[in-house]
Amino acid sequence: MRPNQIMKGMKKNARGLRLLPLYLFTLLLLTIACSSIDCPVQNVVATIYKMEKADGTADTLHDTLSILTRRSNGILDTLVNNSTNTTLLQLPVGYTNPEDTLLFEVTDASGIYSDSVYIKKENEPHFESVDCNIAYFHTITGVRLSSHNVIDTIIINKTAVNYDLSTEHFRIVFKAADKRGKN
Amino acid sequence: MQAQQVLVIEKDSVPLFRGFQVSFDIVGAAQKALSDYGQYEGALRVNLRDKWFPIVEIGYGMAERHDEVTQIDYKTNAPYFRAGLDINLMKNKHTDNRIYGGLRYAFTSYKVDLGRQGLVDPVWQWDSSFRIDGMQCSQHWLEAVVGIDAKVFGPLHLGWSVRYKRRLFHKEGDVGQTWYVPGYGIYGDTRLGGTFNVIIDI
Repeated sequence: MRPNQIMKGMKKNARGLRLLPLYLFTLLLLTIACSSIDCPVQNVVATIYKMEKADGTADTLHDTLSILTRRSNGILDTLVNNSTNTTLLQLPVGYTNPEDTLLFEVTDASGIYSDSVYIKKENEPHFESVDCNIAYFHTITGVRLSSHNVIDTIIINKTAVNYDLSTEHFRIVFKAADKRGKN
Repeated sequence: MQAQQVLVIEKDSVPLFRGFQVSFDIVGAAQKALSDYGQYEGALRVNLRDKWFPIVEIGYGMAERHDEVTQIDYKTNAPYFRAGLDINLMKNKHTDNRIYGGLRYAFTSYKVDLGRQGLVDPVWQWDSSFRIDGMQCSQHWLEAVVGIDAKVFGPLHLGWSVRYKRRLFHKEGDVGQTWYVPGYGIYGDTRLGGTFNVIIDI
């Protein structure tokens, strides 16, 4: 190659290289400036209760069901108000309480029957990003009843309580109407 | 009889070791000055025959943020390390300007202080504030790098790089994920990053 051809080639290279910073600067600004907030869309933490018969098949509670709990200030708060034809329940979980207490009240033709359900759990804060609210996940370690006035049995099906609400955490068997109130 | 033209390929007479460069990244420092996180980073690159450039990058990443909406406090600072190799992609490798492509292996071990004060249980109304200090975390990742290095005058060069990051192994404590990882950036955000380097030939 002749020297002037070599010089032409080098000048062409240099021109191209001078423009490269501009292209890369633009690309850099776009990529670094772009940010997104990826908080989970499904961000409810709750427990799912499924009504079942004693033989394990799905059941429907036709009578009126209310579920209450006592707040830290002693005031009773209603979580479920007069639900009828209930097959599934979604209930909140206490962030930091080691044990949640829920009062299940069933009203039928012969009166009001209630049982307290105590749910023992471990609580862990869950963090995803500074842009997303803190959540609390839980691991259920035990469940017991105060009495058997209206609930026959309640068993744990799934111990992990997090954003996944696809599977029930508890299976609950209510007593038939003629057996309520008898422990 | 005409003389035959013989094409002779001359061996590259440039010596193997051609010096080294030190550089400093301005993008990380600007991020630190303008936002809640950033890093100070320097690099040492060895020049082998203007073709191969083994490189070590060392930096110190910092993040401290109190989010006004979520009221979450997040703080971390730790060193990070990258090692890798760049290859000069220019056809004529012995010019003062270079386009290079390369890979990096990166690692950091860091502690996170995380807290949320004033969090109240929405149903039972208990105070559910929490604070975790010194949560031990670590991360290994790979980076693919494309960049340029242009001579300004004398030993002074300026250069850009664009990087694609891929996490390999990570440990993040028991509370889910971490937000800022020193050297990697905001995890969960874009996998692209970049640097703007001031480079000195030595």
